[in-house]
Amino acid sequence: METVINIFLTFLGVYFLIGILFGIFFLFKAPKIDPLMADSKKKVRFLLFPGVIATWPFLIGKLFKSKTA
Amino acid sequence: MALDYKLVIWNSFKKQYDKLIVAGMLLYIIVFAVLTFVFNSETSVETLIIRAFGSLAIIMLHIVLVIGPLSRLNEKFLPILYNRRHLGVSMFLAAFIHGGFSMFQFHALGDVNPIYSVFTSNMDYNSLSNFPFQVLGFLALLILFAMAATSHDFFLSNLSAKVWKRLHMMVYLAYALIIAHVFLGAFQQEASLFSVSLMALGFITISSLHLRAAFKERKIDRAKTIVEEGWLEVCSIDDIEEDRAKIFTVNKERVAIFKYDGKLSAIHNVCKHQGGPLGEGKIIDGCVTCPWHGYQYLPHNGQSPPPFTEKVATYQLKLKNDIVYINPEALAEGTEVKPVDI
Repeated sequence: METVINIFLTFLGVYFLIGILFGIFFLFKAPKIDPLMADSKKKVRFLLFPGVIATWPFLIGKLFKSKTA
Repeated sequence: MALDYKLVIWNSFKKQYDKLIVAGMLLYIIVFAVLTFVFNSETSVETLIIRAFGSLAIIMLHIVLVIGPLSRLNEKFLPILYNRRHLGVSMFLAAFIHGGFSMFQFHALGDVNPIYSVFTSNMDYNSLSNFPFQVLGFLALLILFAMAATSHDFFLSNLSAKVWKRLHMMVYLAYALIIAHVFLGAFQQEASLFSVSLMALGFITISSLHLRAAFKERKIDRAKTIVEEGWLEVCSIDDIEEDRAKIFTVNKERVAIFKYDGKLSAIHNVCKHQGGPLGEGKIIDGCVTCPWHGYQYLPHNGQSPPPFTEKVATYQLKLKNDIVYINPEALAEGTEVKPVDI
């Protein structure tokens, strides 16, 4: 059981760490993910920060899609 | 409908609701504290906070979960549905305070990482009577965090409505984890018949309301239509109220047929915003207006009025002897269809 717990918590830690790094990228480059962010107030980016950490795999996917489009 | 993202979308109505939420939460905490000190004066402040915010979060979660089916059963509840997002975030904050204080009091004072300690301080995972119930609360809190953190139109738009909806449907998994957390944990330590009964009553209420709402929806899906030369006979013209719609299931899709200004138009029933039932809304200022958050579409082409860009599918209609017929083939989203004159 301890192995399962260790794997789960390591996964959780890595997930949130990447999320935080992506969140910092988002704070500066949010319009690259959604052009509507360009006209939105900067405070909105901070409000969205926790959600970006939680959903970074989806947003990274969107970022790559918009780059290849 | 917006051209940028707002911090919080507030109007005077929503502000009133939010004040009510804050006042209700404060009142509950005060009453809980007073009752605890009167009847159980030995309770420590930390324990009081853990119990007060934990029970508050559970009550709020029940309210969040009954709003959906209630508003489907009775449109008078729709205004509460509009504010469910703020109620959900407030519920997460209450749960977060409960979880944060619990972790601090029981896991943060040793030399082990508090989160690791939640999972490993009690390894009795095979026992029902001594199950490490805090793990279940932690997992529920993770789900509630993801939901609260993505309760913004930015995520609805960027995760896609499908992913966003799936993520937020996880509230039922969180609810199941919380029920197990409460039954295996708090009731293990201090079995209170009153608390057990209250939780059971809450579960029965939520389940029965969801079942009733599901039966109501099933009626719409099972409504019979008659085929005539590729057109489906759906209803009489008198069955549809002025500036309102009647919903039918056509080719496994829900379609709303609106009657307005002496005309009829049909559009897909699902709003592009959060999947709200457009057919339960009304025509306001010439636009179909979603009852959930006020997103609007022109009935003859399914397009949001400029500068907005949302579009839904449209359908062809015909009227013969006051009977409404629909072509079951959906047209591309935003396709203009000449309304049928009544």
